[in-house]
Amino acid sequence: MESVTLAAPGGELSIWALFWQAGWVVKLVMIGLLVASVWTWAIIVDKLIAYARMRTALNRFEKTFWSGQSLEELYRALSERKTTGMGSIFVAAMREWKKSFEKGARSPIGLQTRIDKAMDLALTREMERLESRLGFLASIGSAAPFIGLFGTVVGIMTSFQAIAGSKSTNLAVVAPGIAEALLATAIGLLAAIPAVIAYNKLSSDAGKLAGRMEGFADEFSTILSRQIDEKVAAKAA
Amino acid sequence: MKAGLVTSVTMHAALLGFGLFSLSAPRAFEVADVEALPVDIIPIESMTQVQEGDKKAALSEKPAPTPTKRPEPVENAQNTGDNDVDLKTPPTPEPRNREVEKTAEPPPAPKPTPKPEPKPEPEQQQAAAEPTPVPATEVRPEPQPKQEVKPDPAPEETVVAEAPEATESVALPNSAPVPQSRPQPPKASTAKAPERKDADKPAQKTASKPKSQNSDELFDEVAALLNKDKASGGGAKRSQEQASLGGSRSTPGEKLSQSEMDALRGQIQRCWNVPAGALDAENLKVSVQMKLDPSGNIEGSPRIIAGGNGTMVERAAAESARRAVLQCAPYNLPAAKYDTWSEVIVHFDPSDMF
Repeated sequence: MESVTLAAPGGELSIWALFWQAGWVVKLVMIGLLVASVWTWAIIVDKLIAYARMRTALNRFEKTFWSGQSLEELYRALSERKTTGMGSIFVAAMREWKKSFEKGARSPIGLQTRIDKAMDLALTREMERLESRLGFLASIGSAAPFIGLFGTVVGIMTSFQAIAGSKSTNLAVVAPGIAEALLATAIGLLAAIPAVIAYNKLSSDAGKLAGRMEGFADEFSTILSRQIDEKVAAKAA
Repeated sequence: MKAGLVTSVTMHAALLGFGLFSLSAPRAFEVADVEALPVDIIPIESMTQVQEGDKKAALSEKPAPTPTKRPEPVENAQNTGDNDVDLKTPPTPEPRNREVEKTAEPPPAPKPTPKPEPKPEPEQQQAAAEPTPVPATEVRPEPQPKQEVKPDPAPEETVVAEAPEATESVALPNSAPVPQSRPQPPKASTAKAPERKDADKPAQKTASKPKSQNSDELFDEVAALLNKDKASGGGAKRSQEQASLGGSRSTPGEKLSQSEMDALRGQIQRCWNVPAGALDAENLKVSVQMKLDPSGNIEGSPRIIAGGNGTMVERAAAESARRAVLQCAPYNLPAAKYDTWSEVIVHFDPSDMF
């Protein structure tokens, strides 16, 4: 009677060993995915910090703005230092206002449009800064699984070729190659999943901040237009 | 951005380092230590073959033939074949003969001659002593020393044991014939002698015919003759166990196996020229019976046992069937199953042919 004993798999199966056993294409894919994962997390951390700072800055500015302080004083205080978010929008609008009135504005309608445009410009610049690098998260989220899958397919291909060469279909021969190839897909998913989640959260956060700044810009625009009307009426009178 | 990159890199490094040390090779699955079950593929014929056994016995796992019975000697047999006188006493020498035959060597021959002499004396004395019980005690001490003498050959003890029993049972009718039976033991010893002579005679004959032959060959021939005598007693198969269900003898399979049938069918089919008219006609079935000898040739002529009685077409079909059977004549079939194919009936059906 002959009893069959299962042979232990030949190679070591730790993750490190799997990485070193892989072919160079698969290795390249894995390294690339690892770098992408590092960069993704760097962006995520950076954006989380930036958005938290922006939120506090907006809160502080709104508090000071609606505290009844005169606009001139606020402008003087803000123009001296570097501003972000609503502050930069306010400074841009006030700068345009000052320039127009110091040199003597001829038409109040032209002044209004100029101020609006300056505020829009400042807003888009702020938004650009907020949403920069979010695109990378999106592309990693969608492409990393495919890159990992590519590595897996190549790895399985080469391992099947090796199996064909060894002329043995024992599972112990087949398994290590496939496990090593699947590691590429695992790393791809590891990079893609946080990227997708972070992209969704950060883009919605950026949208909320942008909405708050747009609201402030509109409000400030109405305040300024009222001021312009008052000044024009005072001049006429 | 720098802060984010630094945190990310440190985080990945920490995770990878943790993975390298903690996520080592996964433990191999524990394979249950099950004994491998050997599977043999055996042809169905070996299962269907009939084992020897008892037809009325219950089915049991282990096939066993009917237990062999040892023919036991009838007790108190009246008729003794070699005796001149019809005696009522059972002839005691016969068992002695057989036992001596087993040991059957020339050396015991001198010993029995002294034995018969002492034996009749105590028996006669016992027989004489029985009517008068008082002197019996006086007589008994005498056989005791004889028993001490006897132990050298084993069979004597049994003789001594049987002798008093026989005298007790026989004592009632008459004491007259008893002395006649006693002299027979020497006859028995002489009876052995003729047997030896029988064995010796062929040896002497062979010795006389070719004197050039070696004495070893003579011994072989003698041994062969002796072996024959012994073999006549036992059966071919012995069994101590309860008989199991089975036939009167073992057969190597009831039927021809499917592949053997197919081979036969194919062989006949190749030889069969189906008449042109038979293709269209329905129910043109013909059955041909043939007898085969063990080498596969047809004995006599095959008989048409069904079909071929009606129209010309039917008769032609029957003839073609018979020709086919004759043409393929030496059939290659397993010789071991000759019982099953000694008579074969072949059914020809043209509608199946095409």
